[in-house]
Amino acid sequence: MKKLISVIHHNNLFIKMFLVMVISIISVSLLITFSTIRMSNNLFMETFSITNTKVLNQIKQQFESFSYSVVVTSMEVENNATIKRMLTEEYVSSVDASTSFYSIKEQMEKLYADRPNEANMIILGENERLFNMKYMNWSVTGDDLINHRITKNAEEHPNQILYQFVSGGEITNGSPMVVATKALTERSSNNIYGYLYIPIRELDLRGFYDDYTSQGNSVMLVNGSGKIISSDDESYIGQDSPELLALAKETEEQRLEYQEANVFGKDQLLLTSALPALDLYIVNLVDQELVINNLVNTKEIALISTVIVLLALVVVFIISRRVTNSISRLVKQISNMAKYDFSKPVEESGGYEARKIAHAFNYMLNELQEHVDVLMKAQRKQRKSELEALQHQINPHFLYNTLTSVKLLVKDGKKEAAFETIDALIPLLQNALGNVDETITVEQEAANIQNYVLINQTRYGDRIKVNSLISPDCLHYHLPKLVIQPFIENAFFHAFTEKKKGFIQILIAQRNDKLVCEVIDTGDGMRLDKIESKGKRQLFSGIGVRNVHERIQLLFGEDYGVEISSELKKGTKVKIILPLLDENAKYITKSKNSTKERLSEGGNF
Amino acid sequence: MEDFRFKKSWLSALVLLTFLVLAACSSDEEGGASEEGEAAEDPDTITAWAWDPNFNIAALETAKESYDGDVELDVIENAQDDIVSKLNTGLSSGTMKGMPNIVLIEDQRAQSFLQSYPEAFFPIDDYINPEDFASYKLAPTSLDDKQYGLPFDTGVTGLFFRTDYLEEAGYTMEDLTDITWEEYIEIGQDVKETTGKDMISLDPNDLGLIRVMIQSAGAWYVDEEGTNVNIEGNEPLRKAFENYKAMMEADFVKANSDWSQFIASFNSGDVATVPSGNWIGASIEAEESQAGDWAVAPIPRLDMEGAVNASNQGGSSFYVLNVPGKEKAAEFLGQTFGENEEFYQDLVNDVGAIGTYTPASDGEAYQTENEFFGGQSLISDFSTWVEDIPSVNYGMHTYSIEDILAAEMQNYLKGKSLDDAFADAQAQAEAQLK
Repeated sequence: MKKLISVIHHNNLFIKMFLVMVISIISVSLLITFSTIRMSNNLFMETFSITNTKVLNQIKQQFESFSYSVVVTSMEVENNATIKRMLTEEYVSSVDASTSFYSIKEQMEKLYADRPNEANMIILGENERLFNMKYMNWSVTGDDLINHRITKNAEEHPNQILYQFVSGGEITNGSPMVVATKALTERSSNNIYGYLYIPIRELDLRGFYDDYTSQGNSVMLVNGSGKIISSDDESYIGQDSPELLALAKETEEQRLEYQEANVFGKDQLLLTSALPALDLYIVNLVDQELVINNLVNTKEIALISTVIVLLALVVVFIISRRVTNSISRLVKQISNMAKYDFSKPVEESGGYEARKIAHAFNYMLNELQEHVDVLMKAQRKQRKSELEALQHQINPHFLYNTLTSVKLLVKDGKKEAAFETIDALIPLLQNALGNVDETITVEQEAANIQNYVLINQTRYGDRIKVNSLISPDCLHYHLPKLVIQPFIENAFFHAFTEKKKGFIQILIAQRNDKLVCEVIDTGDGMRLDKIESKGKRQLFSGIGVRNVHERIQLLFGEDYGVEISSELKKGTKVKIILPLLDENAKYITKSKNSTKERLSEGGNF
Repeated sequence: MEDFRFKKSWLSALVLLTFLVLAACSSDEEGGASEEGEAAEDPDTITAWAWDPNFNIAALETAKESYDGDVELDVIENAQDDIVSKLNTGLSSGTMKGMPNIVLIEDQRAQSFLQSYPEAFFPIDDYINPEDFASYKLAPTSLDDKQYGLPFDTGVTGLFFRTDYLEEAGYTMEDLTDITWEEYIEIGQDVKETTGKDMISLDPNDLGLIRVMIQSAGAWYVDEEGTNVNIEGNEPLRKAFENYKAMMEADFVKANSDWSQFIASFNSGDVATVPSGNWIGASIEAEESQAGDWAVAPIPRLDMEGAVNASNQGGSSFYVLNVPGKEKAAEFLGQTFGENEEFYQDLVNDVGAIGTYTPASDGEAYQTENEFFGGQSLISDFSTWVEDIPSVNYGMHTYSIEDILAAEMQNYLKGKSLDDAFADAQAQAEAQLK
């Protein structure tokens, strides 16, 4: 859990960026996909309704020309005197019958020849005399026909041409048909002398519009009572569908170009055209779902946009990962730097931006380092000159005291001792006046210490004995001047206030590639916080115990310096740690320029 | 710069990938549509056109069952008129595309096709022996000594009559056997007088009975060449017209105007006789209440030299069209209709079709007694008569000439002299057919 949180924390930037990208890419592509589909649907519906309106008009024209030819035929039949005579005449002989049958057929043949379509023509006269132009289409008998409802209807409306639907099976050999009926009436007496039937099989009626239909784009004819009398989908033929009629009427009355409606359980586009003469509505139903699915491949569009989204996501993932990764790495490096090492430059890698930032950061670091170096150099210089001044400042009291001692020795006639003392003072002074950076060999230092000890013993007597133990392999090493002397001085003047006698041991040896000098006294010991000397008068130079440590660190770095340990009543132990310096390394001091050198290897702009 | 190149390659890789995916998406659409358009040289399926599901289509299905060859037969039902018009449009345009391998054509129309499009038909002499078939079938189905049609059913005629009505008028089977049309008319008058029933039902627009009459005397509307109109001076035709008018004047003719009225005329018991092709038997048997009341006598003959008591009405034959698969089609026909006697027995039993393959008439099925017709061995009788049918050349224009003759018949009935009527018809027919 913690791990997860830390992962999230570390990838915070990436997660944020990536989430924003993902959400925007997905929403953009979704919006585009949907609007594309919607737009193409709308466009399609527009054009579809336009073309289908035209198609409906063409179908309508076909029906109108059909109904016109029915009207013309019925008028011609009614006006045909031969037909009328033959239908009404009583036959007395076979010859008469034969003649009249022949003439009626002949007349009908003439009228029928004009008929442009598949319609049949039947004339029924009294005595069930039936003349059928195409008995193959409808082999009906006069007996059946005279009692059929379509004849009764025609009888009730003798002046009207009625279009009546006869469903398959009744008397039509299983093929549904629409029959135009007209009672043939005598003008003067309104007496009905026969019936004209112009049946057209639903199959042939379908030919009027069948070419315009396709799957999902169907046409049906609905008559005034809501019965579907013809359809390219045969299962609808003969069904009663008042809803469809109502929709058709509504569309027609409101002069809508089309109407969207749920018909037969499907969302359909409904176009209609009325045929008032036939009391029919031509209804065109377009199954939206089916047709649109055929036209607009929604699946494909969705697939394409999904693929694009996925690709974009992969690309976004990789790119943002690259960007954020390098930035996170940078951040990590920088935050670690505060903990560990300021001088280490950050790695310049990753994207362009990250590299620029790293570069700028490194540049800044470099500058800062340089600045710090300059500052430190100045500081060191200042300190050095301070120390130098202190070193050069040979305590007049020391000289005064020493010279007083010499004077007393001379006065006492201790010529030898006086000579020795002066002899010791001379190199001591010589040494003190040199450069603060200058080193001397351990041998020389030992001599100096001896001289100093001699002078002090001359003055204060030899109750404090000084032994020096110097490892011979160290004699040729160099060390800075006035490093050991202040501690001996300190031991002389402060370690033996209670104890009046004691020893001061000086040990110089090489240990772990370092030069270790130890000054051990057997004096009173002290509290470490009270090292500072009080009686300035006794000091040889301005260099005190305290600034020895400072000076060593200034010269050689933090690995070196002075360690003091003390125990009350038992004595004090001073350990001076110095590098092993050869003569040719006289002036080497630890430099911090190295950082700067390393930095300048990097960028070059 | 280096990074820029890197990014660019990324971009192009992305674009490439996108295109690949898109291409993969859209490529499903194609394919699958390129399967047609390969009309094999020798298809495994042969198609046949016929028009009557209860008769000739059923016969083809029976043939398919009895055939051992590895051929798939696809029988397509088309109205006869449609077959005629499809053949005419197809063959006249010279393209055989969409044409069947086998087509059934009525004998009286066959010559018009054979003569107009001889190249379109495939001679089947190598697959059948024409002498095995009734001789009258060969003339209409062959051209220039090549046999094109495989004779299928016979239209051999008989005089179907109501035994009860005729008995009432005092006539027996014997009195109706081998009579002339004049005798028939006399009998008809007696029947009308005693029973009040009409003797015959006729459609004034259809001179089928005239054709039956003249073929019994070996004559037709055209001469033996099949090309010249033969009306004027055609003695059998003259006799036939006279007989027709005599029937009308005897007043025992019930007029009908279409097929269903014709069927109704005898199913309702209104007429006593039906002189017709044997195929009408099925329609007569359809009225089960009249079982046992019917019998069949030989068709009456014209009262003249050379006339026989046998004629033909209708009948059709199979033709093989000159399209890929013709050999298979011819083989199929040859091995079924052309030589399989067994198959002809099935044809009689299952379909009721009487073939014109003479060796088959000795088969058992042909001897069956028909209970509806009072135990008469109907098929045996018909196949006997088949052999007597005079052969005539129907020529190409039977129906056009008949239309003219039907009109002249009306004039003749109304009193025009037969000489004038024939002269006018001859002139009109010659003018029309030239």
